[in-house]
Amino acid sequence: MVLGSGSPPGVRRAVVGLAALVLVVAPLLLGWHWAKLGWRDKHYNYPGTPTGYTQIVNRFGQPCSADAHAISMSWPAADNGVTYTFSFHKKLGGYPTEMVANKGGLSTNLDNDVYGHIQNKHLSQYTKSGIWGYYCRYIDGTTSWSTHAFGIAVDISASYEPQGQCYSTVNTNFASIFKNHRWRWGLDFCDPMHFQYAYGY
Amino acid sequence: MKRALATAIGLGLGVVVALGLLAAVGRTAEPRFPHGAPIGPVMRPDTGAGEMLLLVVGGTYPTQADAEAANAQMPFADLAGYYVVPVDQFLGFRELVGDVGDYALVSAFRTEQGAQDFASFAQSFGYPATILPERVQSLGGVYAGLGQEPNAAGTGPLTHPIAASLP
Repeated sequence: MVLGSGSPPGVRRAVVGLAALVLVVAPLLLGWHWAKLGWRDKHYNYPGTPTGYTQIVNRFGQPCSADAHAISMSWPAADNGVTYTFSFHKKLGGYPTEMVANKGGLSTNLDNDVYGHIQNKHLSQYTKSGIWGYYCRYIDGTTSWSTHAFGIAVDISASYEPQGQCYSTVNTNFASIFKNHRWRWGLDFCDPMHFQYAYGY
Repeated sequence: MKRALATAIGLGLGVVVALGLLAAVGRTAEPRFPHGAPIGPVMRPDTGAGEMLLLVVGGTYPTQADAEAANAQMPFADLAGYYVVPVDQFLGFRELVGDVGDYALVSAFRTEQGAQDFASFAQSFGYPATILPERVQSLGGVYAGLGQEPNAAGTGPLTHPIAASLP
């Protein structure tokens, strides 16, 4: 039914009221559901997403520094049953929450908020084998530092989303969660496994 | 008549606003990079000439073409992996490995931790990775991956010789 100007005012008011109720109540119900599962989206102390090499260094320090791999987390792959453990920068996680132990990190970004969203929206079925974070290494074929060397990049589902592929088969199901938490998806440059907390690099 | 006028004005305003938004997005949108993401400073290839280095070896091959072909089958996602080098650019390599070919896939390190981390990383991809039991001396030559390991202070990459790498 289309609510045009011909609809009775009572019906219109009821529909608008119902919509408002859903808009208010649905997030509360979702929050309650997630809290029951032991997780809350915190959005605590996110650093600004840097643009370009200089801002990356100013915000996260030198590549291969101790801070770049200060926090670690485990991430199970849905297809092969392997749980990958990788590390990342202390400014992107490791802050204590209901779900994350105190690891000396400074924010809730990756291990609580992004990971929690993926788990609690039942999207973990799409995170597949080949999951990596920090590594002190250059970009392939260059002598320029990869964002992985700063601990601000994660590769997910590498087996399914090879570099050079300009479309996505599985990561597309949760990429919006990364993007909503200030990450850039590598699909922009045909690297769909790759998520990085930086632009212009 | 009034309704038609209001509709026309509304449509006109809508078009103007939409064009304004499009212009704003067009001006602020990040440029596309047809050849991949822009990269940072290019680091000087560090050959560690004269230093005693640890090598992680992915394989040895009779020719450079064979080594290149094998390397192409071992991608490390978007990261640098093994480097194709002539084995004779490392004094002591043949003694440790035997006369198995003139080219090898290697990555060179100054610290044991760096070598072990890379070996584990390569093995996590399912690739062969053997750390030579003794250090070999670099004669310079082709870049073999040196410089991609943390320094002991935890402040950044290790870009200079250490006591263990000095001959």
